[in-house]
Formats: sequence, structure tokens, C-alpha cells
Amino acid sequence: MTESSKGDHLLLSLTVGLLAWFVPGAGHYVLKEKKRAVIIFATIVSTFCAGLYIGSIGVIDTVGATPWYVYAAQIMVSPMVAVLAHLTAGGAYTVYAWPNEIGQIYTSTAGLLNLLCIVNAIYLAYLRGTQTSGG
Amino acid sequence: MPIADFLLTATFTAPQTIWTNPALMLWMLPLAASIALIYKAMKLRTITPANFIKEAGILFASIVVLITLIILALYALAWLITE
Repeated sequence: MTESSKGDHLLLSLTVGLLAWFVPGAGHYVLKEKKRAVIIFATIVSTFCAGLYIGSIGVIDTVGATPWYVYAAQIMVSPMVAVLAHLTAGGAYTVYAWPNEIGQIYTSTAGLLNLLCIVNAIYLAYLRGTQTSGG
Repeated sequence: MPIADFLLTATFTAPQTIWTNPALMLWMLPLAASIALIYKAMKLRTITPANFIKEAGILFASIVVLITLIILALYALAWLITE
């Protein structure tokens, strides 16, 4: 593999990874895996929205007692989660008990599933890169 | 703000009421479905509606059965300790 193809390869993997993070399923869509992309997008967005419906946007809590790893998992859905975190930072949407627990479980599971999809999309991009460069 | 937009926003700014009862366990079902769908979307070599639904359905059922068995085992253990 030449230096320029290595650079292209790295750029493709990076682009696919970032796209998959910004919009769930977009990484697979770029790699022409449209069915997978649609399934990933629909499933992750609906799981995340279900979490917000159950517990309200207050489940995205960066200033309260929520452990940091819950927010770290939630933000893997998309960087847009940071916008919601900014909205809830004032404490106007405080939520307690089961709605908080279940909402956090749903939203962080959606994030972890998207992390799995990001890794899978980068791996697919890597495989395509090695096949096209004859590696 | 139009009433439809207001209602949509209100849906996501007020939490639902959830009581502590056995029905609480049903909240695991949509989550198990999501996990099964995403896992099979990545693992299947070719995706056709028939084989995707079949494979995801089997995985969903496996997750639910396994969790139910764990719930029953823990319930039995708690019963043995407290009785």
C-alpha cells in the first residue's frame, strides 16, 4: 500500500466514523449499505426518543448526580445530545425515580449501540480500503 | 407556538408516571428488540426482510427467555433467603 493510498484509507475511515457519530447509520449509508443504514437509524433514533419520552429531556444531566459514564454513553448517539445537555443544565427539567432510571437506560443503550455501529462502519471502511488497494 | 408543536415539545419535557409493580419488567422488551435489530443489522451478510425478521426474532426471544430465567432464579433465591 502506497503512502497516498494509506492517507486516503485513513481519511475514509475517519469520515465514515464521524458521519456515523453525527447521524446514526450515515457511516453505513456512505458505504452503500443502505438497508443496514435505515435499520440502524430507525432503531437508534427510536430507542433514544423513547428514553426522552419516558424520562423527559431531563435524563440528559451533566450537572446533577448522574455519573459521567451515563452522559458519555448518551453522547455517542450524536453530538446533538450536547445541545440537549445545554438546555437541561439550568435544572428546569429535573426528573427522579423510575422515569429517570429507565430514561437513562434507554438513552445510554442507544448511545452504546451507536458506538457499536460506528466501530462496525469503520471496520467495513477498512475492509473496503484494503480490498481496493490489493492489501 | 402552534398547538401541535406545543404538545410535541411537552411530550419530551414532562416525565411519564411509572409505578413500582411487576409490569415494570415490560420496559425491557423494546430495549431487547433494539439490541436484537442492531446486532443482526451488523452481523447478517445479506439482508432480506424475511431472514432479517427471522434472525432478529430468534435473538429477541433468546434475550427475553434468558432474562426471564434470571428473574425467576433471583426471585427464588430471594424467597429462600427471606422465608
